[in-house]
Amino acid sequence: MKTLAKTKIEAVLNQLAEKAEVYVPLKQGAISSFGVWSAAVSGENLALESLNTLMSPKSVVLPQTEKMYTFATSGQQAEVKEVCADSGERVIFGARACDTKSLNVLDEVFLTRGYEDAFYKARREKLTVIGRACAQPGPHCFCSSMGVDPLEPAGADVILYDAGEEFGWEPVTERGQALTNQLNEFLGDRELPKPSAAEFRTRVDIEGLPEKLNRMFAHPVWEELAAKCMNCGICTYLCPGCYCFDIQVKTRGQEGYRFRCWDSCMYPEYTQMAGGHNPRQSKHERFRNRFLHKLEFIHERYGTLGCTGCGRCVVMCPNGVNIVSIINRLREVDVDVR
Amino acid sequence: MSDNCNCQNPLVPSIVKVVDIIEETPDVKTFYVTSDNGIPFKVMPGQLAMVSLLPVGEGMFSVSWQADDHLEFAIRRVGVLTDALHDIEIGQEIGVRGPYGNGFPVEKCEGKNMLFIGGGIGLAPLRSLIKYCFKHREKYGSIKILYGARSVADLCFKQELFEEWPAQPDTQVFTTIDRPEEGWNGKVAFVPTYLEEISPSPENTIAVICGPPIMIKLVLQSMEKMGFSDEQVITTLEMRMKCGIGKCGRCNIGSEYICLDGPVFDLVQLKKLPPEW
Amino acid sequence: MSELTARVREIAKRLLDNQQVDVVFGWEKGTEPFSSTPVFIRRPEEAERLVFDEFCIHNLSTYLLDYRDGSEKIGIFVKGCDSRGVVRLLEDEQFTRERLYIIGIGCPGMKDPVAHALAASGLDGNQDTAGLSAKCRQCVHPNPVLYDELLGVQQEPHLRGERFAEVKQIEAMSTAERYQFFADIFSRCIRCYACRNICVACNCRRCIFEETRPQWVGRETNLADNMMYHVIRTMHVAGRCVECGECERACPVGIPLMLLNRKLIKDVNQLFGPYEAALSLEEGAKPPLSRYRTDDPDNFL
Repeated sequence: MKTLAKTKIEAVLNQLAEKAEVYVPLKQGAISSFGVWSAAVSGENLALESLNTLMSPKSVVLPQTEKMYTFATSGQQAEVKEVCADSGERVIFGARACDTKSLNVLDEVFLTRGYEDAFYKARREKLTVIGRACAQPGPHCFCSSMGVDPLEPAGADVILYDAGEEFGWEPVTERGQALTNQLNEFLGDRELPKPSAAEFRTRVDIEGLPEKLNRMFAHPVWEELAAKCMNCGICTYLCPGCYCFDIQVKTRGQEGYRFRCWDSCMYPEYTQMAGGHNPRQSKHERFRNRFLHKLEFIHERYGTLGCTGCGRCVVMCPNGVNIVSIINRLREVDVDVR
Repeated sequence: MSDNCNCQNPLVPSIVKVVDIIEETPDVKTFYVTSDNGIPFKVMPGQLAMVSLLPVGEGMFSVSWQADDHLEFAIRRVGVLTDALHDIEIGQEIGVRGPYGNGFPVEKCEGKNMLFIGGGIGLAPLRSLIKYCFKHREKYGSIKILYGARSVADLCFKQELFEEWPAQPDTQVFTTIDRPEEGWNGKVAFVPTYLEEISPSPENTIAVICGPPIMIKLVLQSMEKMGFSDEQVITTLEMRMKCGIGKCGRCNIGSEYICLDGPVFDLVQLKKLPPEW
Repeated sequence: MSELTARVREIAKRLLDNQQVDVVFGWEKGTEPFSSTPVFIRRPEEAERLVFDEFCIHNLSTYLLDYRDGSEKIGIFVKGCDSRGVVRLLEDEQFTRERLYIIGIGCPGMKDPVAHALAASGLDGNQDTAGLSAKCRQCVHPNPVLYDELLGVQQEPHLRGERFAEVKQIEAMSTAERYQFFADIFSRCIRCYACRNICVACNCRRCIFEETRPQWVGRETNLADNMMYHVIRTMHVAGRCVECGECERACPVGIPLMLLNRKLIKDVNQLFGPYEAALSLEEGAKPPLSRYRTDDPDNFL
């Protein structure tokens, strides 16, 4: 097995950064996120020893705000100038299995079912993912319950196994092998024990849940569950698998650009129609849509769940809305109650 | 497909020119758009397209007719974009992208009697199929069109409604307004009420419905009362849309996206979905 | 079970048994020792779910907005800051006093469940778990200002040191330093609107940030639009903020929102005061920026 001594991580990142934008877990004071490794960032900011970052790496493929194309107008004339769907090489270094699995969910959404999203595709095709096996899940982690193997980050091109002073380095795709070849001078070669299966404190049973939810749309439990939600966007924006976006325009004089930005199904204007009608007028309707989307609708459409058990929403909800408790309650209630 | 179609990137519009603007009602105008290379894309009845006034915004509209050399969009003035669109003049260049959605099942309707039920601007999507049926008149049975609006002024496509369509063979047009009005000798009733009075036979008939959500919901109840089966009833729905290609999330009803899997659903499909529209 | 928890349950049960109220707003335990969460109790037997412990940090008064169009009677447990939130809603005519039965609790100061969860989670972020929560360390009004019934003991302010010390630090900065400070904090805003949604003073039915005709604030997450958002948000609660600190507590990216709010509290007091928002319910009373007086100072214009 290839190995990477932890003392050589910075050298590897520097090497990668010569040809690509390298996104690493970074401590950034009050927050942490996958940020670009550069001369301005020191090894002290690297959060590889931490369990995970507050902000997920989804922004590497789906930036919170993204310019789509520019345009110019002149009198009655209009012209699309530049379409901004391109990307250089990118590397995500050190993503956990919950987050890499979410990339697979985003791939399903953006690259399948009739249309490919050119903006997403441009970034995704240039992306190499170096995943990090997770042997010690946190108290709020429940990825294993959502069908994620924390030791084998799905969708990663290379998997890192933490073995104390060094990482085991295992390429799992051709792209990962190519990267490994490039980095050979930094890598060692010896057998390391792979970490063993992790013990999860938080577990939840989702067997049959999407099917049950299919019959629970009109269930009164949604009002009960939504009561303490305040319909802010924290859970959707921290979620590695939430991908909904808005398309808006910025115009100055004769020129402007159309951009897209993250949006949240928690906001009333998400479905507010210009004519006044809003099919999800109330708080519990918006709340219900979010959880059904994660746990039923995505499953029906793409055969995978929209939640990968990273636990960020559970930790950060100011009012204690907890998807695990919600699933447990949804399992417990009698489906035929109307 | 013309060269100005951005086929590789479905989110980027091609530029077309507005070549005519018809004032239908005080708040509805029909825009005829085309480009030097002809129509920007081919559309089936009931399909949608994203129309943008580049500096202002983008919105999804049903294509109310695809003529040989232009597309028609009947657009009601309800918000920022539609306000701005209503202020443009002939010659303006705008963006369009599409076509989106499934459209009406024109082949499934062949050999059937057609019953169209529309309210307000809801006649716009129906019009694409009505005109399609007239264009291929021999393929369809009798045609009944029931259309209602708030007032006489609010009735869209008046020339077609009062002159062109009633003159077609084996065609009846029923028009109603919500409240009595001076100079109107026609029917005054809400669409669902009038529908039950007319009580069209369900025999070998397909009913196609579009209007405000509340009208659709009431009409669906009437259809059931009159003995229409779920397979015989088709509606076209509307939700807020941004991408048009099933990615941005907002136009879902359950696991279906209106922009991609709709906007046309028959009642069999619709009954499997949550009633959230 | 603490004595206060027992009293809270007893009162809730009594109010529901007597049908004096239709629903009681309180707190229950979540999945962790440090998670207490809001709960809405409708049946007397469910009163047993209620607790009152050191993690009952949430300002329940904001939830009254979910009920503002109804006629249900509501029993609500309030700490000092929460009670000012109730006054805020009554003063803003978003609710009527007759629909409320208010049970005040002298607040010993709360710990922050999110900070504790974050510290335990292994996620890198703002893990401020030492003693009282950041918001309670700034508290000058721990005792309920409006209630029908009072529990607990009278508390002294939890603030140690000077109330506007941090505000003065910012005021003392040069313009360039101050711009840099604001650029740093606002550039990390993710526009989740938690600070707005959790705020009892943000009770507009249609928020300016949802307005599209015109759209006052762009939706891009960039410094310019983020600053615009925060300047507007802060100004809209000037003279109306009840200092409950919920905005700052809810912020997932640690923006010091109370620093901004406190600057406005200080300014409103200096310009129009002495004024302290929502300290008592007086017939017809309005915050200074909701009134017009010819002798209002205008030297800040």
